[in-house]
Amino acid sequence: MPGYSEFYFNVDHGYLEGLVRGFKAGILTSADYVNLAQCETLEDLKLHLQTTDYGNFLANETGPLTISTIDDKLKAKLLTEFHYFRNHAFEPLATFLNFITYSYMIDNVILLITGTLHQRPIAELVPKCHPLGSFEQMEAVSIASNPTELFNAILVDTPLAAFFQDCLSENDLDEMNIEIMRNKLYKSYLEAFYKFCEKQGGTTAEIMRPILEFEADRRAFIITINSFGTELSKDDREKLYPTCGKLYPEGLHLLANADDYEQVKCVADYYAEYKAVFEGVGSGTGEKTLEDAFFEHEVKLNVLAFNNQFHFGVFYAYVKLKEQECRNIVWIAECISQRHRTKINNYIPIF
Amino acid sequence: MGSLFRSEEVCLAQLFLQSASAYSCLNPKVSAFQRRFVGEVRRCEEMEKTFTFLQQELRGAGRVLGPCPESPRAPLAREALRVQEQSEQLAQELREVSHNRASLRGRLRELRQYLHVLREGQRFTSWPVGLGGGTHPGGATLFVAGVIHPWRVSAFERLLWRACRGYLVASFVEMPEPMEDPATGESITWVIFLISYWGEQIGQKIRKISDCFHCHVYPYPESEASRADTMSGLHSQIQDLSVVLEETEQYLAQVLDKVTLALPTWRVQVQKMKAIYLVLNQCSFDVTEKCLIAEVWCPVRDLTQVQDALRQGSYKSGSSVECFVQRIPTSESPPTLIRTNKFTAGFQSIVDAYGVASYQEVNPAPYAIITFPFIFAIMFGDVGHGLLMFLFALWMVLRENSPSLRQSSNEIWLTFFEGRYLILLMGAFSIYTGFIYNECFSKATVIFPSAWSVAAMANHSSWRWDSQPHREPCLVPACTDTPLWDPRLATNHLNFLNSFKMKMSVVLGIVHMGFGVMLGVFNHMHFQQWHRLVLELLPEMVFLLALFGYLVFLIFYKWVKFSAANSLEAPSILIHFIDMFLFTSNAANLPLYQGQVPVQTVLVVLALASVPVLLLGTPLYLCCRRRAPRTGPPAVRLGSRRGGALSRGGGAQRSLTHVDFAEIFMHQAIHTIEYCLGCVSNTASYLRLWALSLAHAQLSEVLWTMVMRQGFVRLNYVGGVVLVPVFAAFAVLTVAILLVMEGLSAFLHALRLHWVEFQNKFYVGAGYKLCPFTFAPDTWE
Repeated sequence: MPGYSEFYFNVDHGYLEGLVRGFKAGILTSADYVNLAQCETLEDLKLHLQTTDYGNFLANETGPLTISTIDDKLKAKLLTEFHYFRNHAFEPLATFLNFITYSYMIDNVILLITGTLHQRPIAELVPKCHPLGSFEQMEAVSIASNPTELFNAILVDTPLAAFFQDCLSENDLDEMNIEIMRNKLYKSYLEAFYKFCEKQGGTTAEIMRPILEFEADRRAFIITINSFGTELSKDDREKLYPTCGKLYPEGLHLLANADDYEQVKCVADYYAEYKAVFEGVGSGTGEKTLEDAFFEHEVKLNVLAFNNQFHFGVFYAYVKLKEQECRNIVWIAECISQRHRTKINNYIPIF
Repeated sequence: MGSLFRSEEVCLAQLFLQSASAYSCLNPKVSAFQRRFVGEVRRCEEMEKTFTFLQQELRGAGRVLGPCPESPRAPLAREALRVQEQSEQLAQELREVSHNRASLRGRLRELRQYLHVLREGQRFTSWPVGLGGGTHPGGATLFVAGVIHPWRVSAFERLLWRACRGYLVASFVEMPEPMEDPATGESITWVIFLISYWGEQIGQKIRKISDCFHCHVYPYPESEASRADTMSGLHSQIQDLSVVLEETEQYLAQVLDKVTLALPTWRVQVQKMKAIYLVLNQCSFDVTEKCLIAEVWCPVRDLTQVQDALRQGSYKSGSSVECFVQRIPTSESPPTLIRTNKFTAGFQSIVDAYGVASYQEVNPAPYAIITFPFIFAIMFGDVGHGLLMFLFALWMVLRENSPSLRQSSNEIWLTFFEGRYLILLMGAFSIYTGFIYNECFSKATVIFPSAWSVAAMANHSSWRWDSQPHREPCLVPACTDTPLWDPRLATNHLNFLNSFKMKMSVVLGIVHMGFGVMLGVFNHMHFQQWHRLVLELLPEMVFLLALFGYLVFLIFYKWVKFSAANSLEAPSILIHFIDMFLFTSNAANLPLYQGQVPVQTVLVVLALASVPVLLLGTPLYLCCRRRAPRTGPPAVRLGSRRGGALSRGGGAQRSLTHVDFAEIFMHQAIHTIEYCLGCVSNTASYLRLWALSLAHAQLSEVLWTMVMRQGFVRLNYVGGVVLVPVFAAFAVLTVAILLVMEGLSAFLHALRLHWVEFQNKFYVGAGYKLCPFTFAPDTWE
């Protein structure tokens, strides 16, 4: 009965949905950001954050405040909340929440492999991983020398194994291959997540569809733009595009054949929302970058998720919005500590 | 009494504090209220952070902080510095010592783990000696040994097998004794592993993997002899370390002792200090005069006390200029302050739950002290139940100072405890009403001999009746005369009680409401709104008395006029009352007295005539007065006599020019409709007294006949044994249903009768409480 989920949704997921909506009310508003942006020192920032839902999450920090401690604490708070959701979730919400963590797991794996490639000690790399995507075998990733070994020895036990089918090869792990592997993993992940949401049907699918489609298209755009000037062939490039977006199939073909930024922009012109995104990008300093424009659009889509009830999209949206909030706070903190006040307003307000 | 009758006069005052002495002025217990002291507040917070650290350490060591012995004063600046210094020094010391201890413990744990690894490894390495040499002549068997967290074992084993393609032998065994996990501090049973492998490349891989899984890897000597050597070395090392660790622990205990001694006082002190600075932060700062100005609400009675405190404060801080307090006029409505003691607090909170009294309006709480328990008792009338309740409350009252009752964390219990005096009075009044109803656990008692005699009936039906002489009918002095025999035998028992209780509820209700309307007199007189006295109170009173007051009169008249002798021809009051409104008379219903119809007609006309007065009087009066040229008196009076103590009514008068006439009219119309309909419905509402008291009586009777009487069936020893469980059931049911449930329901209904039926006659309840600045000890924790 996918169409009638609202009748029994609350039986299993009502508590968590209520909770996530409560947490959502604690997301910083633009008024909070204005206050934060006026701070002179990190101590002031801490004082201001104390008046918000973050409370005294930095209260027991002894010693001088650094941006990395702020970042860690912000992430730790999100992690606590997320683990609470995950521990209280029933199926299929549990799987849905797992899917959210997979993207962080992919990032962590890639980060560790790249780090090992550059001969960094593993102890230095692990703290840089996103805590949402940590898993037991994570640190063992560094012993693998090629993708097949990585898969057979380490990742076969993890949920990521399912996404690995496409990237099994005997190639050595060099920077290019790692990047290709990341994108292939991401593509499989997005497609699987998309399929999962479609299977849920109802409002969940309705809400998650635009969000995931946008995510897929954003990756396609970014892969294309980043591949200019590298030795990636156009055919290979096309294989990396996630196929669950709005661009599929015609847009992806066009993107695959694009040669420079202008052509990418031409492709985007065929799609109303992406046209708006690309038009918002400025080239001068102090103006929005393409990344920021994409983030802004993502925030807009995620905020929309809260307009509907009885669906899982709110959890995804909450994690993403909270992540954006962490980025914003860290950005403001960076600007404060580097005395770079001109760019302090380049954060992306959420509400 | 004066302060309970209406809220105290409160004025707006300005405190001028010399910034140097501001801190010490607020220091004594004074009722008072741009971010100048941020630095100080931050310092307080830093000290609190240190305290939190100290407390965590204490808790970690399993020590409990005692409560602060006496209430210390907020520290002076010098003292605060000393506290800060000492606490930081202690924290630093503690940090060092516990760090030392942690590293020592870690070292000890590692040594012991190593020892266990070697000891357990013995079992695996002792037998494959021949095997290791025999199959691999080229290279000796190499070992990696260590301990791993039990949760990670399976993943570790799998990964080892996958990564090294099975070129190893791994054995796992649980450690015989649990040890502390350095990450979480929990005690877990670690797992020892011993991996034997061949070839250095695989060895590297294994080491890497075990690193990833946070294993503690220990060197594993090849030969039996060197293993034994290492083990004995470890033994002696462990012994040495244990001695050192013990000394460290002792030192730590000393430091902790110091902390336990000092911390509670410090915490309260610093909290007070912070509270003072937070309040001072709200003061406005006068740049030119170097002083802080605080606007505070202050009871007029306490102004001199405040002044004294300020003087002392400035004297203590040694500043040359004195701080002083000054009254300032205001147009704002001041907060409500009603001083209560432990007895009146419960009753005041009942009123406050409905709405805090407007400034200086008549406070219903003093009347509720009597009326509330009484109305409750009407519904709960039973000597036995009342006595139980009274004793329970008495126990609470007698033990009210015991800390175990006072500091209970059970919210429901605390609710009862807060209302102990209320419950005491409710119990006492229930005993009284139970006595009037003549009921004790639903049984009648013979306090006064019954006035009933069957002699008349016996004579009439020519029974043989000679055992008792004929007794003259007489009055029972106090309580309801329930016949000596079982009430169920008197078939008119219920009929009589119904009629009696119904009339009683109506009479009491109308008296109660009339009293409420009369209390309005004090409000109007106090706020000097004489027009409301005539235009609102008078018609309200006339309406109530002409209709329902007359009903009360009829009830009493009929009781007095008709006795048992002529009760057959007694007319029905109900029919008369209905006829009164219809302006008719019923031939079948005899008149009660001569000239009844004209009297009733006059009363109804009077009541109806008072409605338009009530509806239009006040609006028209206000309208006329606004149009008339300002004659002066009202405004002058306001300024001169009442001064700063501006009343709600006064505020209405002053802002009259802005208020729309239509709005006044609307309010008055709503009030009129509400009052007139309310008189009818509220009177009916008081019938709940009848209904609940009846229900209570019936329920307790059911409990007696259905439970307790079943125990009386046999009058031998067996019956005595049966009686025990039966009585237990009876007692439990009595307490659970009759005392708790029925008590709560009667309480709720009494509450409603006070809030809705009584208080809406005069009480506005639109004020807000005065929240004085105070160091209440229970707010700190």
